Amino acid sequence: MFKKADNNALWAIGISLALFFIGGLLTTVVPPLVDTSWAKPFENHDPAKGMTGKVSPLTDVQKKGRAIYVREGCWYCHTQQVRTLLADTKRYGWRGVDAPISTPDEFVYDDPHMFGTKRTGPDLARVGGKYDTQWHRTHFRNPRDLVKGSIMPPYPWIVNNPEEFNALVAYLQSLGRGKDWRPANDYEK
Amino acid sequence: MQPQFSKAEAPKTPEGALVHDDSTAKWFLVSSVAYFFIVGIIAVIIAAKFVWPDLMGTMSWLTYGRLRPLHVNGMLFGWLLAADMGLAYYIIPRLCGVKLWSEKLGVATAVLWNVIILGAVVTLLAGQNQGWEYAELPWYLDVLVVVAWILFGLNVLMTVATRKHQAMYVTIWYTMGCVLWTAFVYLTGNFATLFTTGTNQANLNWMYVHNAVGLIFTPIGLGIAYYFIPRASNTPLHSHKLSMVGFWSLAFVYVWTGAHHMIHGPISQWLQTIAIAFSVMLLIPVWAVVYNLFATMKGQWHQLRESVPLKFLMSGIVFYLLTCFQGPMHSLRTVNAIVSKTDWIPGHAHMAVLGCFSFLAIAGTYYTVPRMWNKALHSDVLANWSYWMLMIGGLGFFTTLWLGGFWQGWQWNNWNIPFIDTVIALKPIWIVRFLSGILMFIGIVMFAYNIMATVLGANEEAAA
Repeated sequence: MFKKADNNALWAIGISLALFFIGGLLTTVVPPLVDTSWAKPFENHDPAKGMTGKVSPLTDVQKKGRAIYVREGCWYCHTQQVRTLLADTKRYGWRGVDAPISTPDEFVYDDPHMFGTKRTGPDLARVGGKYDTQWHRTHFRNPRDLVKGSIMPPYPWIVNNPEEFNALVAYLQSLGRGKDWRPANDYEK
Repeated sequence: MQPQFSKAEAPKTPEGALVHDDSTAKWFLVSSVAYFFIVGIIAVIIAAKFVWPDLMGTMSWLTYGRLRPLHVNGMLFGWLLAADMGLAYYIIPRLCGVKLWSEKLGVATAVLWNVIILGAVVTLLAGQNQGWEYAELPWYLDVLVVVAWILFGLNVLMTVATRKHQAMYVTIWYTMGCVLWTAFVYLTGNFATLFTTGTNQANLNWMYVHNAVGLIFTPIGLGIAYYFIPRASNTPLHSHKLSMVGFWSLAFVYVWTGAHHMIHGPISQWLQTIAIAFSVMLLIPVWAVVYNLFATMKGQWHQLRESVPLKFLMSGIVFYLLTCFQGPMHSLRTVNAIVSKTDWIPGHAHMAVLGCFSFLAIAGTYYTVPRMWNKALHSDVLANWSYWMLMIGGLGFFTTLWLGGFWQGWQWNNWNIPFIDTVIALKPIWIVRFLSGILMFIGIVMFAYNIMATVLGANEEAAA
């Protein structure tokens, strides 16, 4: 079979594509058909079945904030996924409560997805409600005023544009809130 | 050091031999070398931003978040893919024993490619980012990329279809594989993603990101290595059979591994396991290729002392082996829990794209430019220096980021260490990375200057 591909270009093309498509189709088209949780938004109102909550589409303001997050490339340095590692759930917890692990059903409305690959800064999957608006204002103006040693760039043009700043904060405060993970409901505003 | 292409030895065309026009290859190579230099400046700036975070921080279009996609897209598509395409336009007609199917179409493709890259510079600096890694460009530029790729593919496939030599050398399979697989990989990452969200979209995105390296840069890069290593050393390839094993196992194994970018993440465990299993299987095509090329050089290694192209080629193959050993190892769940999301990852990515594939493309450029312009290389000494600058800078960059990344990963796994302390701890690493970046940039400048001086010198002589 492969010997013939030495002399016959069409044959070589045929086998190359056939081998490629076996793995190509099985790893892209098939998984969402098998694992339906990828497309079903998280919703649970029964505490007996585990953590409660409901994932909803973003509001228009939050969507605007998300577009700023995409535009400025925040996602190059901040991931949005609490992985199935104890260290992640502990590190990204808050005030003694562990962060719940991120599951595919929390991200059904995410487009483009913002999972990320690199943590130059901390993960933001559960950042919603951890810091209040004033904290974000100071932090975006100059991160080093609040976090000594930070290497995040300053974003004065966002802070000086109230519409953009409010939208971005509205988006950040929505992150990870699909799951009611704080028993005391002590989210900052 | 012996000169490689002394004037007396400048290649002469025998009477009656096929004369290749090569204008397409020339256009692609010259523009890609220019982008290598320009985007190299951006690379140094973003490395500096890790050390001085306020640097150029008051203008939105010069922030890290805007420059990083320009660095990645500029290096991948402006420099590397364009150089690889240029070399393919040189190699394929020679292996087929015919002229390129259409030089006019080829030059038009080169012009279109430059339009795309210039469009990318403007849109990315303006913050028009689609939000997917490697697929940041807005959709209208994506459409132009598809058109350019079809024109490139058409030219390659038609040249192969009209070939004089029936048996196809391994480089032809790799180039055809690259043309075909890229079409589907690119469509998945830039268009299929438009119709999906969340985890499903991420899965398509990672299939594209992984295979942009695995099924775009790997096949065309290895095709280049398979062509230039025997050519530059004047030694026949060790084994045809082994090159078949390498190619066909690559065709089957690579595409399965995209989900290894999401290990421990919000994606099905069984899909992670499949990705890990196939990532480990990548050792088969990698070892088949590396063994074959090393065995080709058996008894010929002394030639590296005299030949800059061979230095780049064989170092590139060593980096290929290292990258492709690293890849399967850090896809394992236990290793991944330490290195994933750390600075290890850019260390790994740079070894693949710079250490391996860019070294191979640089070698091809050094080899072909004097031959295409029928002129001795401007300076062999400078070429040798460009190798050492890129090699030492590259090694400094890779090794510090691996060590730093590993250290960072261990710190993250101790959740009692505040995150900011893990940032501060990495500062010495980022200083070394910046200094290594400067060395690599000096290497790029030497390479680009040498090539441009050769090219422009050729024109002066023709005018005289």
